[in-house]
Amino acid sequence: MRPRSNPRELDETMATGPAPAAEEFEIDAVGAGRTSLTYWQLVRWRLRRNKYGLFGMALVVLILIIGLFHAVLTPYNALENHRDRQYYPPQLVHWLYADGEFHLRPFVYGWQEEMDPVTFEFRYIEDPEQRFPVHFFVRGNEWSMFGIEGSRRLFGVDAEAGHYLHLLGTDNLGRDVFSRMLAGTTTTLLMAFTVVMLAAAIGLTVGLCAGYFSGNFDLVMQRITEFMQSFPDLPLYLALLALLPARADSTYVFFAFAGILVLLRWAPFSREIRGMVLAMRGMDYVRAAVAVGAGNRRILFRHIMPNTTSQVIVWVTYNFPEIILLETFLSFLGVGIQQPSISWGLMLNQILDFQTFNAAPWMMAPVGMVVLSVLAFNAFGDSLRDAVDPHGAT
Amino acid sequence: MAPPETSDGKQPAPLFAAEGIDVKFSLIDQTLHAVKQVSFEIAKGETLALVGESGSGKSATARAIMRMHDAERTELNPAARIVLDGEDLAQVDELAMQRVRGRRITMIFQEPMTSLNPLYSIGSQIAEIIRAHDRSVGRKQARERALQLLREVHIPQPEARLDQYPHQLSGGQRQRVMIAIAIANKPSLLIADEPTTALDVTIQAQILALLRELQEKYGMAILLITHDLTVVEKVADRVCVMQYGEIVERGAAKEVFANPQHAYTKHLLASEPRGAAEPLPAEAPELMRGEGMRVRYELKTGSWLKRRRTELMAVDNVDVSLRTGETLGIVGESGSGKTTLGMALIRLLRADRGEVSFAGERLDGLRAKQLLPYRPRLQVVFQDPFSSLNPRMLIRQIVAEGLIVNNMYSSPADLHAKVVKALEEVQLEADVLDRFPHEFSGGQRQRIAIARSIVMEPELILLDEPTSALDLSIQAQIINMLRDLRRKHKLSYIFISHDLKVIQAMCHRVMVMEHGKVVEQGSTDEVLRAPQQEYTQQLVTAAFNILPA
Repeated sequence: MRPRSNPRELDETMATGPAPAAEEFEIDAVGAGRTSLTYWQLVRWRLRRNKYGLFGMALVVLILIIGLFHAVLTPYNALENHRDRQYYPPQLVHWLYADGEFHLRPFVYGWQEEMDPVTFEFRYIEDPEQRFPVHFFVRGNEWSMFGIEGSRRLFGVDAEAGHYLHLLGTDNLGRDVFSRMLAGTTTTLLMAFTVVMLAAAIGLTVGLCAGYFSGNFDLVMQRITEFMQSFPDLPLYLALLALLPARADSTYVFFAFAGILVLLRWAPFSREIRGMVLAMRGMDYVRAAVAVGAGNRRILFRHIMPNTTSQVIVWVTYNFPEIILLETFLSFLGVGIQQPSISWGLMLNQILDFQTFNAAPWMMAPVGMVVLSVLAFNAFGDSLRDAVDPHGAT
Repeated sequence: MAPPETSDGKQPAPLFAAEGIDVKFSLIDQTLHAVKQVSFEIAKGETLALVGESGSGKSATARAIMRMHDAERTELNPAARIVLDGEDLAQVDELAMQRVRGRRITMIFQEPMTSLNPLYSIGSQIAEIIRAHDRSVGRKQARERALQLLREVHIPQPEARLDQYPHQLSGGQRQRVMIAIAIANKPSLLIADEPTTALDVTIQAQILALLRELQEKYGMAILLITHDLTVVEKVADRVCVMQYGEIVERGAAKEVFANPQHAYTKHLLASEPRGAAEPLPAEAPELMRGEGMRVRYELKTGSWLKRRRTELMAVDNVDVSLRTGETLGIVGESGSGKTTLGMALIRLLRADRGEVSFAGERLDGLRAKQLLPYRPRLQVVFQDPFSSLNPRMLIRQIVAEGLIVNNMYSSPADLHAKVVKALEEVQLEADVLDRFPHEFSGGQRQRIAIARSIVMEPELILLDEPTSALDLSIQAQIINMLRDLRRKHKLSYIFISHDLKVIQAMCHRVMVMEHGKVVEQGSTDEVLRAPQQEYTQQLVTAAFNILPA
């Protein structure tokens, strides 16, 4: 058998110089002359392309601004009560006088209370005599946030003249529902932020270590995560919350509540990360790092962890709305955030019975905020997930 | 296999003609003109090869013919004509095109692992394509026809295979099944897109022989898309060479190979690895030695209760030795244990048994911490340049990493200078430093991976198929560069490859492995010129003469 058919292959003398005109033909694998973007440029480009996601992002920013600066954005302090104005319905903002004359400055009418002679129900009728013009950057009650104190508010009415402005009505203690709803944003966002960040940190640490070191540590961590995941969530929340001292300080309750949510949230995430790390451990770039002599810590923090970024971002944005819903739900049941803290769920808790609901349906307003924020975070999270997906379309 | 009527002047109307195929892809910030006004025709029973490197637009041409492109991002030439048997397919609607695909024009792809559906048996996947185009065929008839097709593509035990699933078949058998599906409806034109690239060399030869046999039997035309010139030379009647989306040269295969006209064709032909390793000085001392190397994997099969443990001997009692400045080639097909052996030698993997000594010191038995001083001296370059560079690190960080972890620099300026020098050695400019790996092509990435190794001035580099993922001309450049580096730095290489041409150009000695054992070893010249063992003879035949005469 003569296996060699091509004598030119073997008889060639040593040719170590470059192939003729090699450089002329260096071809870029992606396509000749194409400029390439960095990963984050690509992410930004994909984010910009998704209109629904952009809309979600704008709403998220708006909600964050409300959460941070509600003290300035609201006409009243959240805890400020007005005993003389209980269960006032929402006031409509007008631009036209009763006689049809246009007025540039928006105004609201005061309410006139009237008793229905048949049902003995209170009825509220707009009183054209009481006209309260709405002013911007008006001096209102004192507020303080981040250690800064002030009394200027974005809009309001002249309180000294007896004017009042309740865009979403008042509750049983005469507190302004609109102001409370915006103030509740802070608690809810802070709760979601704390829970998601802590759970992500714990899940990431456990997942990284379990996936990288495997062996007995992994075995033990996996059994613990399985144990955590096998709990029935709701009864456990209720049971744990029942353990909290009844007369505890509301800040204490807030953090204990957050702690319980974190406890039940990190486990599935750590599994996700562990799976990723297991796959990544076999990647050539990790093996190359071993080959150049990098230690465990370096491989873990320089090579593996940065590559979980997109996973972490996605998990955080997906879980944010979930925590919002869970917090609202538990506070509505009365086992979450406690008075005098304010949260959307807690506000809804005030209309647990049908009579109250019937008398003051405007107290449902926080539901709108919940729906809006969950939709916004989901839309944003979705587009972010598509944008950071390394295998996504370009 | 060229039918005589195509080679002379007066041709009959061709079976297939494509005129003015033009494809534009819209990317984020620009349009990529992938195929520019490409025209060609194929006669009945003829094989036309579309040759070019990655990015030359050859696969885009095929997808445009089949109308299988991503409609949102692709712009085709509305004036293009794609004529099959006198009918212009560019004018027919999508529904009519569905009847063309899989019946009159069929396609086989590079990846036989992913082009079959893992959920359906082989038999039902073949029967499906038959019944999809001809509802009058009953289930039983279709099954019989499927069996007959499996016989035609020479699958052993076709009756048993019918009810098996894709994972139970080897890569070569899967490609045979893909071919069976492609010829099921007796197509006029078969488009084969890199049909053998993912297969071992000996299997490649068998698949090409099968295609030729079927072509003779059914008289179909074949459009062969490939970058492998050896395949083209042996199989194609006519060749179109593509570069940057244009056909730069066309003609009868023999003529083009014997007398290339265009500079690019000449360049491609000159890119075949050539030359041999420069002889080694006789007094070169031994650098590495491995004795009785054995690596075993335990496979757990059977149910949970009746767990059976079988052992897979990945490397079975192998002795290796390597001298300073020498390159040892380890050859074998996939699964022969060549990579495992290499990894065990540089201790990226722990051998079950065997002694490894490096520069007179024993490496086996050392713990991970104790191996650290040896790491900079023993380096590795992996096969796939796309997974061997961390996507989140800058080139500067990737190359500097070894220096940093081993504390091999005196100052930040020194670190920078060393990194720049290593990049110079692999012929990359310093302006790549602050870019990310994904901005580079495969060849450039492989250069970066080599720079990461040589920056520490190692004594031995394990090269694990460093060129098999690259285009031919890039491959030649990398091989020349590796030879220069070897001469300049007195480097020793362990060169793992399945490509005998590359081995011949690089190695002093060759070791042929099969099923974890060494079947033959000796100097490159001896082994490749006069192989003693049948297995080696098969490999050599397949590599240098793709179809047995």
